[in-house]
Amino acid sequence: MSAVKAKRALLRILGALLVIWAVATITFFVEAGLSGNRAEALLNQMAGTTRSVERTPAELAPINREYGFDKPLMTQYVEYIGGIARGDFGRSYLQHQSVLTIISRQVGPTIALTVSALVLAWLIMLTRIVVTARRGRFLTGFGSGVEIVSAGLPTYWLGVILLVIFAIDLQIFPVQGETSLVGLVLPAITLAIPLSGFLGQVTRDEFEKVLEQPFVVSARTRGMGDLAVRLRHVLRHAVLPAITLSGWALGALISGAVLVEAVFARPGVGNIIVSAAQSRDVPLVSGIVVLVAIVYVIANLLVDIAYTVVDPRLRST
Amino acid sequence: MKLLRLSLSAAVLLLASVLLAACGSGTDSASNVAHTDGPAATASTKPVKGGTIYYGGEQEPPCLGRPEWVQEAYIDRQVLDSLVSIDDNGKVIPWLAKSWTVSPDGKTYTFKLKPGVKFTDGTPFNAQAVVDNFNYWYDEKTTNYSNLGEFPFYKSSKAVDDLTFQLDLTHPYSPLLQTITQAYFGISSPQSLRRSEAEICEDPIGTGPFILDKWNHGQNLEFSTNPNYDSAPANAIHQGAPYVEKLIWSFIPDPTTRYGSLTSGQSTAIYDVPTQNWEEAQGQFNTYEHMEGGKPVTLNMNTVAGPFADLKVRQAFAYGTNRKADVESAFNGAVPYAGNGALTLTTPDYDPQLADAFSYDPKKAEGLLDEAGWTQKNSDGIRTKDGKELTVKIVYAAGAVITQEGLTVLQDIQQQAKQVGFDVVLVPITIEQLFSGAYSKPNKFDIIAQYFTHSSPGVLWAGVRQFNQSMFEPPALLQATEEAVSTNDPAKQKAAWYKAQELLVKNAAMVGLYPQPVLVAAKPELQDFWLEASQGEPVFSDAFLSQ
Repeated sequence: MSAVKAKRALLRILGALLVIWAVATITFFVEAGLSGNRAEALLNQMAGTTRSVERTPAELAPINREYGFDKPLMTQYVEYIGGIARGDFGRSYLQHQSVLTIISRQVGPTIALTVSALVLAWLIMLTRIVVTARRGRFLTGFGSGVEIVSAGLPTYWLGVILLVIFAIDLQIFPVQGETSLVGLVLPAITLAIPLSGFLGQVTRDEFEKVLEQPFVVSARTRGMGDLAVRLRHVLRHAVLPAITLSGWALGALISGAVLVEAVFARPGVGNIIVSAAQSRDVPLVSGIVVLVAIVYVIANLLVDIAYTVVDPRLRST
Repeated sequence: MKLLRLSLSAAVLLLASVLLAACGSGTDSASNVAHTDGPAATASTKPVKGGTIYYGGEQEPPCLGRPEWVQEAYIDRQVLDSLVSIDDNGKVIPWLAKSWTVSPDGKTYTFKLKPGVKFTDGTPFNAQAVVDNFNYWYDEKTTNYSNLGEFPFYKSSKAVDDLTFQLDLTHPYSPLLQTITQAYFGISSPQSLRRSEAEICEDPIGTGPFILDKWNHGQNLEFSTNPNYDSAPANAIHQGAPYVEKLIWSFIPDPTTRYGSLTSGQSTAIYDVPTQNWEEAQGQFNTYEHMEGGKPVTLNMNTVAGPFADLKVRQAFAYGTNRKADVESAFNGAVPYAGNGALTLTTPDYDPQLADAFSYDPKKAEGLLDEAGWTQKNSDGIRTKDGKELTVKIVYAAGAVITQEGLTVLQDIQQQAKQVGFDVVLVPITIEQLFSGAYSKPNKFDIIAQYFTHSSPGVLWAGVRQFNQSMFEPPALLQATEEAVSTNDPAKQKAAWYKAQELLVKNAAMVGLYPQPVLVAAKPELQDFWLEASQGEPVFSDAFLSQ
């Protein structure tokens, strides 16, 4: 590996670490800075009550001691960041388990869901583009119409509709909580349809432009069939914006998963995010926020790699 | 005293329910068996052994075996037995305790325990085991004292002999027995309590009818039967091991999905049937309902600051809103109106006379506002006094405390109150803001809409002292609640609790709306299933599948 390449890789890693540090820091101070006393809030949460009389310092002492709320905020911050640097996100306030345990036992289904949704979205999008782009007014209009509508579909609504029709009424798929492949179908489609619309909108413009390029004309004059031209020559140029968008989409799919996991009663990090944020469970919220940051960083690296695969010009530099 | 935590997604899409209704197979209802609380043995069928019950629950608790939420208590009940239980008439009945006595000064409770009971880890159940549990709950050196809010005055506990347990209080507290019927006081194996918090949380061990085999986080709990179970409460249909082999308890937060899991046959029974499906469910399934005891969802009026500091303005608001009709329409009749805002109708010593307090009477409301000096009206029809508009803020924890139906009630109230000249502003807050106390200060709200579930009128004692959102604490109220907890005489207790309710309701400190419902529907083949009376915990130890 050349020195230039090594330096660039190092800079990228440093950049990624900087992003994660910033995200962890912001999470900490936002959570710590919310109104109300943290110990009081946590106790109320545990007891499921709201008190009109504030607890005495003696009553709050054990919880302050246990969670280190009695230390100066900067000390808490340094310990927190130090922990994350060592890979120790601490213990959830309410679940009493280590944050890594909690996340690792539910992250699998979320990854399966988001990745399959992304793959599915690409498949739907590519098929639709190849079949409908520049195919006469009706088919083209139909293709882009479907794109616009599906990009605008709210995930929760779509999930409920699919659930009611295909699981509750027709009973083709399980209604709830299946982590099997069959159980993955409806949730993945729910996330994939709107995403395929987004990806399709950016790809279609590019695809139609490329169709008019001189090299397409020359490929056709060489006697190449229309479908082959579309697949072998046009697609390769047209998908670059969608690849860029996919980096963002992988992260965004996680937020979509929050709703979809609730609708289909699937295990996953979605329900952890909601309950952790609701209960101001700082270690758990941080753990998940950092996880999402890592997903974004990795997704962007993958996007870069995908670029070099699709576009040979990038390989030499 | 606990807030039932409901899921965020309790806001149901109307569309989904319409679709579901459309998919439902006709409306001709089969003969339906509507149960209320308590066991009701099905006479004709003989219990069948074996099979698995799939229960569609709602909220996944962060932790089990620790006395925290109602939603957790429902689950703990399957694994842990308690000292005493309560029947449908509010009478405390034997469970792990065969009998008990209360000292004349009301400060010492002595329980005689059932002999020969074993925890599922093999540890014998005895008085020392109970002592260890109380020490675990009330150890002030740890953070695990959420039960302190349940009953005050805990002093100490001791094992008098192997099967005699003694609980001492610093001050008499008459609702104690009713309080400990809730599953927060389920007895864990003392051996299991010596493990780390993380292990206790993950794996509760008791003497109960089921054993928790596996917790698939984010998905379900897998229970198997405790084959040696022989310590059911006195009102159980049968003593001995449960008939079914397994119980799978799923977490299905979305109401459409939960109901769909029942109609599609995946669940044997589901918790919290969406109210818009309740009528249909009554036609197609066996339905069970329990209204949570304690304080209903109530408009807690700010009696110390703002316009509601004036009694007449509070009463005007109560008369000026048709809460009864609002509740009936929002819940499609599945949940009754709770006119007595101090206690719900299922709580022992509830005063039914107060249920009609402040029936809708807008004329009276207008008259009271005139008397209170809010005589002018601005161009929007809002009353004014010395140039100030009659604006009131209703603060509520959206989703978590006030469900979609509850919000509909509040919106109707907003409209009706406007007719008599109130400008009502609805302020949704998060459950986190609620718990952090960010909206508890008198200048933050005029009304806070909330409830407390509890199995005893003791909620009134703590209500005025620790959870007093109305900030209404006249000496007469302090005195009545003190009297009620201090006497051993049931007649005197009742009179004192009635007095306390009257003070709260007549002074419009708590204007009632509706109780928190527990609505369960089950396939007809599920027999001898029942909801117990302390807080509607589902009981599967008598249940069997008839096909």
